[in-house]
Amino acid sequence: MARVRNKNRRSGGKGKGKWKMPASVARKQQAAMARVDQVTGARIPKSFVFSRGKLPSTLRHLQQDLRKVMLPYTALNLKEKKRNNLKDFINVSGPLGVTHFMILTNPKSSPHLRLATTPQGPTYTFQIKEYALAADIANSQKRPRCPPEIFKNSPLTVLGGFGGLGEPFKNLVEFFKYTFPIVDPATVKLSTCQRILLLQFDKEKENIDFRHYSIKLQPVGVTRKIRKLMQNNQVPDLRDLKDVSDYVTKAGYGSESEADDEAATVSLASDVDKLNRASRKSAVRLQEIGPRMTLHLVKVESGLCSGPVIYPQPVAKEGVGEKGKEVEEEREGQEDEDLMESYDGSEDESEE
Amino acid sequence: MAAAAAAAAPGSVSSPSAAANPHKRKKPAARAKRGKGSNPGSRTKKPKRSDEPADRPRRRSKPSDKFLKLLRKRARDYNSDNDDDEEERLSGEEEERASSSGDEAVGGVTRFEQGCRAFRVAFSKIMAKKLPDDPLGPILSAHKKLVAAKLAEDVEERKPKGEGRKDKRMAAQKGHIIPAKHLDSKEKELIKVATQGVVRLFNAVSKAQNSRKGLNPSRTKDAKVLSKETKQTFLTELNKFPIHQKGQASSNFSKHNSKDEDEPSWAPLRNTYMLGSKLKDWDKMQASDVANEQTETPLDDSSDEE
Repeated sequence: MARVRNKNRRSGGKGKGKWKMPASVARKQQAAMARVDQVTGARIPKSFVFSRGKLPSTLRHLQQDLRKVMLPYTALNLKEKKRNNLKDFINVSGPLGVTHFMILTNPKSSPHLRLATTPQGPTYTFQIKEYALAADIANSQKRPRCPPEIFKNSPLTVLGGFGGLGEPFKNLVEFFKYTFPIVDPATVKLSTCQRILLLQFDKEKENIDFRHYSIKLQPVGVTRKIRKLMQNNQVPDLRDLKDVSDYVTKAGYGSESEADDEAATVSLASDVDKLNRASRKSAVRLQEIGPRMTLHLVKVESGLCSGPVIYPQPVAKEGVGEKGKEVEEEREGQEDEDLMESYDGSEDESEE
Repeated sequence: MAAAAAAAAPGSVSSPSAAANPHKRKKPAARAKRGKGSNPGSRTKKPKRSDEPADRPRRRSKPSDKFLKLLRKRARDYNSDNDDDEEERLSGEEEERASSSGDEAVGGVTRFEQGCRAFRVAFSKIMAKKLPDDPLGPILSAHKKLVAAKLAEDVEERKPKGEGRKDKRMAAQKGHIIPAKHLDSKEKELIKVATQGVVRLFNAVSKAQNSRKGLNPSRTKDAKVLSKETKQTFLTELNKFPIHQKGQASSNFSKHNSKDEDEPSWAPLRNTYMLGSKLKDWDKMQASDVANEQTETPLDDSSDEE
């Protein structure tokens, strides 16, 4: 069976008086409570991210990155064994309230991602055309930003480019929408919106770009020095200044002069932190935290990794034939080269 | 004799033609000749070395090209080390001279001793010698060909193995792309889209939460609005789902006596229970219900407008 580490497992039964609730009942109640958002009463989707078959190390890293994306309602340390089959995961998912599966596979060394709702489908199979790990993206950035607090809340989702599309994609939009808890604008706290998942549909190539960003709010019209002063809670270095006012008035680096986009400024409804107060303008800055994927929808099945195929994309069989031809050609070429070499050798010998 | 052995040592490794030399020099006559002076001995060696290439064509018909190449390389290596060898030879010959002068005085019985000593000196010299870093190591020349062939085989074997490993690594890395250091236009566009989504959400939130905040419950006008809103919301909440069920339930109860001739009122007792197609898409139904409730979410906006 798949093991799930449950850190905050509380022993059930809080009954104060004579009657004590049986532990099993309490557990069930708690599980039922955990499935529902306390404020809005909406059902919280939970997910498992796991793999079928053996994966190379980079894909295993990708799996861990995907788990981090799905936090907090996912099993970060889910251990799967070779003998676990899909049924085991389905059996566990019921009592744990897991609603979504993300399954990484690597058939014929071309990575695939399956998204499915439990316990009875549908299953969307994507080919991962390109991917980059969170570590790769952090390496590519000058100042990578990924504080652990941002994973305490689930990401917002933005679906772009899916408007006016046909049947499989309409369902896919629904699927993505309910993979994460629904944001209710009337009750949501802005401080919990710290990262965002973007799924952008590319109509030309029919690819879906999967991006994961962290959201950073910066107050508009506050210089960098003041911002740092507020953030760091430290006495600034004033050795080189003649007057305190210099600290404020002295111009900083060029990046400060960079004009904030009007489109990217918002007026906040409530206080987010010390700097970003309510009724103040703040600029929204996004920084990528990875992973990055380019997905291509290959197949939709009505069941959970089984059942009739709803959206088939004809797999080009001619491609296989062409590949075979290429291999044959290569072989021929090699033989030619070998012949040439042997000729050369004989010539050398004759010369000597 | 020690000198002969010492001189033979490099020769035996350098080429097969030189390997025959030690046997010739073991004769006492040769030793006596060489015993006269050390310097001429070393000089006479040099021309011999230069003669080596002249010897080569005779034997060349046998070994393969590869092997010859190897030999040539080895010879070059030794020629570069020439100075060290000669110094060693010089010191060895001096020692030998001293020993030979002593031996002649004592006579035949000590011959064995002398041989023993010579052997000791030669052996210690060989052992003290620094070996060049050869992949082949110090081997007799007869085995050289064999070892060279083996090494060549190994190299050939290793090649496909290494290629296979490379292919495997490439296959494992398929699709893995390390991002560029700078943001290209596509990434910028994606960030823009995401930023728009965030801005929309935040605006919607401020709209939803500020409208309530702005109202002051102590003012009669606002209080009225607030009360209305709450009542309205409450009623709508009631009307959404449970009232329907209640109505159904009550109607079921009221019609219980009149209707139940053919069907029991409790659903599981009916014959048609769970046979309808309603159950199949139960999750989708729920999802669509929720979607209708929350038409104001910014997620919808972003997806619909684009």
